[in-house]
Amino acid sequence: MAPDSTPPPEIVCTGIAKTFEGGTKAVQALDLTFAAGQTTALVGPSGCGKSTLLRMIAGLEVPSAGEVLIGGAPPAETLRKAGLSVAFQDPSLLPWRSVRGNIELALSLARRPVDATAVDQLVTLVGLDGFSDARPAELSGGMRQRAAIARALATKPGLLLLDEPFGAVDELTRQQLAQDLPRIWEAQGTTTLLVTHSVSEAVLLSDRVIVLSPRPAKVVADISISLPRPRTTQMGRSNEATDLIDAVFAALAEGMAAAERPLAAQ
Amino acid sequence: MTGLAWRRVRARRIPHIRVGPWLGIFVLFAGWELAGRLLTDAFVLAAPSDILRYLSTEWQLMTRALWVTLGNAAAGFVIGNLAALSLAGLALVWPRSERVVTGLALLVFCLPLVATGPILRVFFGPGSGPQIVLAALAVYYTTLIPLLVGLRAAPDSWFDLVRSYGRGRFAALVHVRAMAALPYLFTGLQIAAPAAFLGAMVGEFTGAERGMGVLTIRALRALDVDMTWALATVATAVAIFAYLAIGALARRVLLAEPPVILATPMSDSAKRTAWRDAGLVAACAIMAWAGAIWLFDLNPFFAKGPGQVFDALFLASDAQQTRTVLGDALTETALFLVPGYLAGLLAGAGLAVMLVLVPALSSIAMPLAIALRSVPIVTTAPLVVLLLGRGATGTITLVAVMVFFPTLVACLHGLRQTPGQVLDVFDSYAAGPFTRLIRVRIPAMLPAFFAAARMAVPASVLAVTVAEWLATGAGIGSLMALSASLSDYDMLWSSVVIVSVLSAVGYALVSVIERRVLARYAPEQLS
Ligand SMILES: Nc1ncnc2c1ncn2[C@@H]1O[C@H](COP(=O)(O)OP(=O)(O)OP(=O)(O)O)[C@@H](O)[C@H]1O
Ligand SMILES: [Mg+2]
Repeated sequence: MAPDSTPPPEIVCTGIAKTFEGGTKAVQALDLTFAAGQTTALVGPSGCGKSTLLRMIAGLEVPSAGEVLIGGAPPAETLRKAGLSVAFQDPSLLPWRSVRGNIELALSLARRPVDATAVDQLVTLVGLDGFSDARPAELSGGMRQRAAIARALATKPGLLLLDEPFGAVDELTRQQLAQDLPRIWEAQGTTTLLVTHSVSEAVLLSDRVIVLSPRPAKVVADISISLPRPRTTQMGRSNEATDLIDAVFAALAEGMAAAERPLAAQ
Repeated sequence: MTGLAWRRVRARRIPHIRVGPWLGIFVLFAGWELAGRLLTDAFVLAAPSDILRYLSTEWQLMTRALWVTLGNAAAGFVIGNLAALSLAGLALVWPRSERVVTGLALLVFCLPLVATGPILRVFFGPGSGPQIVLAALAVYYTTLIPLLVGLRAAPDSWFDLVRSYGRGRFAALVHVRAMAALPYLFTGLQIAAPAAFLGAMVGEFTGAERGMGVLTIRALRALDVDMTWALATVATAVAIFAYLAIGALARRVLLAEPPVILATPMSDSAKRTAWRDAGLVAACAIMAWAGAIWLFDLNPFFAKGPGQVFDALFLASDAQQTRTVLGDALTETALFLVPGYLAGLLAGAGLAVMLVLVPALSSIAMPLAIALRSVPIVTTAPLVVLLLGRGATGTITLVAVMVFFPTLVACLHGLRQTPGQVLDVFDSYAAGPFTRLIRVRIPAMLPAFFAAARMAVPASVLAVTVAEWLATGAGIGSLMALSASLSDYDMLWSSVVIVSVLSAVGYALVSVIERRVLARYAPEQLS
């Protein structure tokens, strides 16, 4: 474990719910525990409340009910120590800063020393070699997302919250990132929450997949993934992986069906 | 919005020499020279060669005057922009003050410089006080509004980013807000720089000893055509230079062109509290006015408080007469102002639409229009008077020109903002250029058009009052000048109050029309 990284925390959500001002119930009474150092994928239909859940865990959104504890303390505590990073669904790079500048901003916001070689390594890791000095406007959508991932990794956080980080990344790069990124968070021992729409990615990247129902999000299935690590793209085609993928799809379908029934009954 | 602004601008960074603007400028000068030669005997127009000849013989006089005016303008520029920065800062740390801050700022911006000048002259005596104050008054609003827009221009996710590393509002201000507002600040400064020069010159009209404004009055009295044109040319050149210099600075700092758009439509919540806010603004203004007179212990003979103005207008034995005089003058002014204002708006929007239909022309016209927008038209008032005489045509034209350029630039910009995808959708239905214009482009242009129309209200009041004061001898501008020279301070203050209030009301009226029209044709623009 790198000396300057924060140890991975356990996350406990008890009865958290979020109702927005307009009355939209995004999340309703969720009880979830994420073990320290584990990678959990969250899958669920669009608009079911995944981002909202992530934001509540990150302390960016106050739950309407219930509480989140990160390593036994409220999220504000982790925030104060800059112990977590979020890769937002929209990459949110500052347009006036280069890729390097955006990564360095995370370090200086987190009050960490800026280490140029470490930044270079991150840039290489996400496949942006030669684009360190490019501004976000000069990058493609997928490249921007990769820069945002590099930024999220820069502070070596104990808790990493990734909200659809590969949405706009092309398939081949996605596979590459899916191989490389887990190495980092395994090496650092990070607790990782990953929101994704790709079921195979969810299975391949994580130790556990949580399937959520349509809004308001409820847990439909909680599937643990015991594929050996390190994972490879080939593993995704193994029988074991295919079964797991099928199980996740089945759970998603079940969640959808369950959500439609009360609607049909009305 | 900011993200967009930065992105759009990036694309334009590739340097390439454009022939269009140079061609336009060449044609302009050639036509001017020709007209000057042809009209030598008419004593209205000096050709560029005449101006050069005048400047080469009188360069000492001119440079001395120019330095004085530049100094005053620079001082006013700094003071006005510092005021704008502090007001924007206040609105930022105390968001509920924003409506009152902008309302008061608008009211002060609506003060007729023509009358504020003489009043300030009485307070400051000789020297450059009034010039500097007028320059500051001319710039702070043009900086404040884009700055406020810019400070709000950053998307929420950038602030989430700052928060996710456990940092607060101060870090967000430094790393996000200030940087996101920079392009808008530069846009404001770019317009403010020529405006400061204009303010300083108007200040010099009111009995200063030195400066370009003083020379202008002298040239006008002496009917010295070459001198009048030389002064206006130098003023124009300075204005364009200031505009370009700040643009260049912006490109150095931002690596980008500053955004063009300046104002946003009123939000729904703002509409709900509009009356209360207006009342609050009026109350604050009256308190500040009375407070200043009391605080500085100003001589009640020339410093009239709110009570005295109310007396003069409603209670005094000659109140009826005062009101009649004011009413007549205002009617006279309105006859110039309203047609000029409407003509300027129509011409600006109309030309923008035509240019969009002929893209080749637009690339020539846009840079020229942007440069000319920066010209303090009022400093060319003497020329318009020379060219078109002291009658209605001259004044109406001046007002129209004052309104025309900002409207043209804003509308061209709005027309270019039409989202590409939307046009693609219309293309896919094989809609002709005219349908696209009516259904897509003009609705996209409307917000920019109305932003220009609002800002044009105080600008056209300034133009009409200056023209009346310098040239026509009619209307409220002349009444204010006359009252100043006769030391009729009741009348002077009354006209200042009435003109400011009417300008602000005109501005509000345009806002109301804006909301009605946008709600119908571009509802997505209203947040
Ligand atoms: N700030 C907000 N105010 C009001 N409603 C909101 C807000 N943020 C999200 N919502 C609503 O909450 C619900 C869940 O949103 P959320 O962004 O969490 O969905 P999601 O699962 O991340 O969807 P996607 O997969 O499309 O990103 C949606 O119906 C959304 O409209
Ligand atoms: Mg989401």
